[in-house]
Amino acid sequence: MTIVIERKHEHFVGEVSGIDCRQPVTKEDGQLMNEALDQFGVLIFRKQAFTDLEQITFSKIFGEIELAKGGNVTKDKDRRLDVQMADVSNLDKDGNLLERSDRRRMFNLGNRLWHSDSSYRVIPAKCSLLSCRSVASSGGDTEFAFMPAAYDALDQDIKMEIEELVTEHSLLYSRGQLGFTEFDDEERKAFAPVAQRLVRTNEFTGRKSIFLSSHIGSIVGWEIPEARDLIRELMEHATSQSFVYRHSWSVGDLLVWDNRQCMHRVRRFDDASEPRDMRRTTIAGTAKTVPKSN
Amino acid sequence: MSLKIEQVHRYFVGEVSGIDLSDPLSKSEVIQIEEGMDQLGVLIFREQFLSDEEQVSYTKNFGELELHVGSNVLKGNERRLSLEFADVSNLDQDGEILKKGDRRRMFNLGNKLWHTDSSFRNIPSKFSILSCRSSPKVGGNTEFSFMPAVYDELDEGTKQEIADLITEHSLIYSRGQLGFSDFNEEEKQMFKPVQHVMVRENEFTKRKSIYLSSHIGKILGWEIPEGRDFIRELMEFATQRHFVYAHEWKPGDLVMWDNRQCMHRVRPFKDTGEKRDMRRTTVAGIAPTLISAR
Repeated sequence: MTIVIERKHEHFVGEVSGIDCRQPVTKEDGQLMNEALDQFGVLIFRKQAFTDLEQITFSKIFGEIELAKGGNVTKDKDRRLDVQMADVSNLDKDGNLLERSDRRRMFNLGNRLWHSDSSYRVIPAKCSLLSCRSVASSGGDTEFAFMPAAYDALDQDIKMEIEELVTEHSLLYSRGQLGFTEFDDEERKAFAPVAQRLVRTNEFTGRKSIFLSSHIGSIVGWEIPEARDLIRELMEHATSQSFVYRHSWSVGDLLVWDNRQCMHRVRRFDDASEPRDMRRTTIAGTAKTVPKSN
Repeated sequence: MSLKIEQVHRYFVGEVSGIDLSDPLSKSEVIQIEEGMDQLGVLIFREQFLSDEEQVSYTKNFGELELHVGSNVLKGNERRLSLEFADVSNLDQDGEILKKGDRRRMFNLGNKLWHTDSSFRNIPSKFSILSCRSSPKVGGNTEFSFMPAVYDELDEGTKQEIADLITEHSLIYSRGQLGFSDFNEEEKQMFKPVQHVMVRENEFTKRKSIYLSSHIGKILGWEIPEGRDFIRELMEFATQRHFVYAHEWKPGDLVMWDNRQCMHRVRPFKDTGEKRDMRRTTVAGIAPTLISAR
């Protein structure tokens, strides 16, 4: 089988065919996948009916697994999945739907805000792999926005204004936008803000992008309202329809996205009545985005 | 001279010619303008170089003036204009540009969020009338979105879902979105949340519209995060580009809009470097939107 990648959007997104992700991947094919991720930002694989272990094994062609710790308010004893997987479902550890007012559900509503996974970590994630095990009857699409294209379309003076800016990211900020503020001391500590550069460069393509995320709550050295206003403005620009690809899930879909170059969000669905079982593995980044002094 | 109204946007906005607003209006002119507002939501008048007194007189054709108390963080001695005016400029009481870190400027950044004027009042305003005395070279447009058109395009399920919803509006919520939260006790008292219906109907055209504003912080009976998430979703829908008219200001422009049917926001400009002198009079509404509060 030969691997073929077909572009699905003006700016990004490649659909990959000719590969069975459950089988061992050759070094060459692994290299090809990594290059495709740099170039396309989002890769779609169809009909990949994974076990968790198969997903974890395939994920490692992109790097080291980032453990799903410090990324939500679910306690270890309440986990449904192994710590190598982030549970992006609406299910509790017994596979039952989370109650409407469940604190974990309230927290997870934050996934409906545009974000980049783990941008709240000192070393943010490289990429995420999301496997669809069951879908809702309507809604629940995931949207992606491609940040190199959004960067290119900025006015020259905005590019200059943001070039050296450093932002602060935290789950406290993204959840704060939805008025979710009841965190215990342990969570506050786990979610302490981290510094990230606002402009990143992909080391392989050399393309610059804006590193945006709803986790951003401040710009170092700026008044908070002014910072939030600029971030809101950039977010609106970066999520204009021309930069967005919308994915309607089918069972067996595997999507890989590059968190260094893309934002994403899930769209609304009737999550209090229908299960949506989505399992994510995350590949750790390799370096901070800011110099060591930060 | 006879008054003519020409629609300039697919859904709304009329440009009015054949009238000098510094002269007293005839009864039929007042009726024509009222009808134009009901149908088109926004009316534009060009080359109307009004004095403050003339603007106040013109405003009184449409109802009682709403006085500008309880709507900002200005102290008594910081007002540039009389209480009959909302000062939508970037100037202090001496006509100097507000400095970057000024608290009043931080508060005013909230005008860049989509809102309807005075939706934070128990009886929200009817019309706003904004006169452009000086405009910046670049930026500072005002954008409008027409809520009856938005309502019509909502899917049936959403129309049903919002039919009986009641929201809470406060300046504390809109400013909170920008992280502006240092209010003193007097301000907190003054900005206490008020309740409004989410679906309103124009009494003359009978068109329904969705009553949205960044001042909303809560849906009654809903968990806060779930309420905010839904409002965010509706705001995004309601401000899609095809619903939006952007007004580029010239000195002498007078634009009036119907706060019962429109949202608006100001766009960025170099507000610490260029003067933008805009003076707003507001026509008070006549009743709370909630029947139980009447």
